[in-house]
Amino acid sequence: MSKNQSWILKHPWSVRSFHYLLVLSFIPLAITGVVLFFKPFDQLTMNLYMRIHVVTGVILTLDAVAYFIIGFTRVIAFVKRSFSFSANDIKWFSILGGYPQKFLLRKKVAVPPMGKYNSGQKLFGICVLIGGTILIATGWGLWGFPHILPHSMAALFGTLHLVFGWLLILFLLVHIFLGIYMFDDFKAMFLHGKIPCEEAKEMAPLWVEREVVKIER
Amino acid sequence: MNAEARTYQKGEIPGIIAINADVCKGCDSCKRYCPTGAITGMFGAIHSIDVEKCINCGQCLINCPFGSIYETVDTVDTVIVKLQDKNVTVVGIPAPAVRVAIGEEFGMADGSLVTKEMYGAMKKAGFEILDNNFAADLTIMEEGTEFIVRARHALFGEEAHGHKVGPLPQFTSCCPAWVRYVETRYPALIPNLSSAKSPQQMAGPLAKTYGALEVWKKPPETIYTVGIMPCTAKKFEASRPEFTSAYHFLKKEGKAGSDTPYPDVDTVLTTRDIARLFKKMKIDFTKVGETDGGPLAEYTGAGTIFGNTGGVMEAAVRTAYKVLTGNELQPLEFKKVRGMKGVKSASVTLMDTKYGKEVTVNLAVVNGIHGNIEPVLESIMAGTSPYHFIEVMNCPGGCVNGGGQPIKSDGSSWLRVALPLFGWK
Repeated sequence: MSKNQSWILKHPWSVRSFHYLLVLSFIPLAITGVVLFFKPFDQLTMNLYMRIHVVTGVILTLDAVAYFIIGFTRVIAFVKRSFSFSANDIKWFSILGGYPQKFLLRKKVAVPPMGKYNSGQKLFGICVLIGGTILIATGWGLWGFPHILPHSMAALFGTLHLVFGWLLILFLLVHIFLGIYMFDDFKAMFLHGKIPCEEAKEMAPLWVEREVVKIER
Repeated sequence: MNAEARTYQKGEIPGIIAINADVCKGCDSCKRYCPTGAITGMFGAIHSIDVEKCINCGQCLINCPFGSIYETVDTVDTVIVKLQDKNVTVVGIPAPAVRVAIGEEFGMADGSLVTKEMYGAMKKAGFEILDNNFAADLTIMEEGTEFIVRARHALFGEEAHGHKVGPLPQFTSCCPAWVRYVETRYPALIPNLSSAKSPQQMAGPLAKTYGALEVWKKPPETIYTVGIMPCTAKKFEASRPEFTSAYHFLKKEGKAGSDTPYPDVDTVLTTRDIARLFKKMKIDFTKVGETDGGPLAEYTGAGTIFGNTGGVMEAAVRTAYKVLTGNELQPLEFKKVRGMKGVKSASVTLMDTKYGKEVTVNLAVVNGIHGNIEPVLESIMAGTSPYHFIEVMNCPGGCVNGGGQPIKSDGSSWLRVALPLFGWK
């Protein structure tokens, strides 16, 4: 990290530690979930996958609950940001953030100014908030109480778990790709939490303009 | 006990219940309902059923949250073909618990009693009717008097004429899952089972003998009997090779009409099956109207309550009381054996007018084999059981909750587990 450069703290420690645990739990959950869906292995192996699925599911739940309590104000801020829409979001989606043009045509197009999260990230945030909550709730129901749930509720839990599981897995693949592509943000999330001020001005001008405050040291 | 041994006679249907591997999620729910530990498969892996251990009760089937368990025996189309054959008289034998459940398959309120609508739909489909409640009355007279014989033998040394008297406690024998449980796991207690056949297996020969010759005036070999049951294990029971009584009786009389033994009950449809049959035959159960069942559809309240846990015991006590004292039990309802407790017990003191002595009889009702039966049987094996007469029904709640009943998408069984947490009663 260059000392001559200005930096913005984008991901504080609480967010980073929540994200570490999320990575450690969701990726095994996704892999074991896919295996449990296709059931390709023998009894012992399938049981091992199910156990890993359950243990990592418990870790994910504890992580989410702990962050909800410890980082409550950040959760509220994240919800607010994810559900704040403007005409810019429509414009952003109409060009998909300029990414297809960049990757496929090697062409840079004008992207409408975004806040801390761009429209795609907001959509992902909404899916994570709603889908994650549904996955946790249905997962506990399917693990602990399928035999006492009304049948239609158990079946609904199964369907919701499946649909949102696949949805978040697909989103995860895009998230990992773009996360690595925006490497400064990747380093910020996994290392020090900070992104270069110049990059933030380019990627999230409205955030820098309206919310970021300069701190003199 | 050797659970690995072959546990089926020649001719019996093995494996009435099976798991669809494509649908099974390995959630383990079924294992929690299986009374014999017949379901194998680790949590998360595909489950399967060990047919040697399975007693065909179907509790796993009605409780699987994902509908992955199914019946392998489906004779709905066969029965429709028989109904359309003018040379065959198809006799339907509807059990007590069917008439309070079949309405659900046609959008009626849960628990609607639709006896006469059921008769109407059966008549429209082409069935003759022999109500199983009628046969249940016969069963209870047999079981009740058999108990008196056993009790008098035990207390007063009275001998029976022409046969050996069985030991106490006497078990009821109308639940085929329970009978198979005893046969495969506690064969030493087989003599304790009542020698009375179940209502279904009394109704079959009755239809092919008295019904055929005296009521419908048809050759017995053209009678096709269909048990209409709330129970998947009844399909197994009907396939037992010893149940050919009508043929052997008629053979002696020279009226069998065939040299090949035919079964007393030709096939069994569950409540779900008969509802499907009506739908296939485009019979609108809700509009068919009420009809009387005919001469073989007369019955008492004793036969009616067979479908509930404690019902057989209550009916037996009424019968035994009447036979021993000459009077009706007052009040007629014997409420001590009602309710959903796993094991219910009661004592009845009555005067045996023949011997001029008061007798106290200890009764027990086992409401669901799973989790309830082992201690009762172990105490009998150890010689410490206080009971003289024990009703056992495999399914919690009795036949009304049988494995062949409509599968409730929004059942309330979970309330039984949840309510104690919140205080209730």
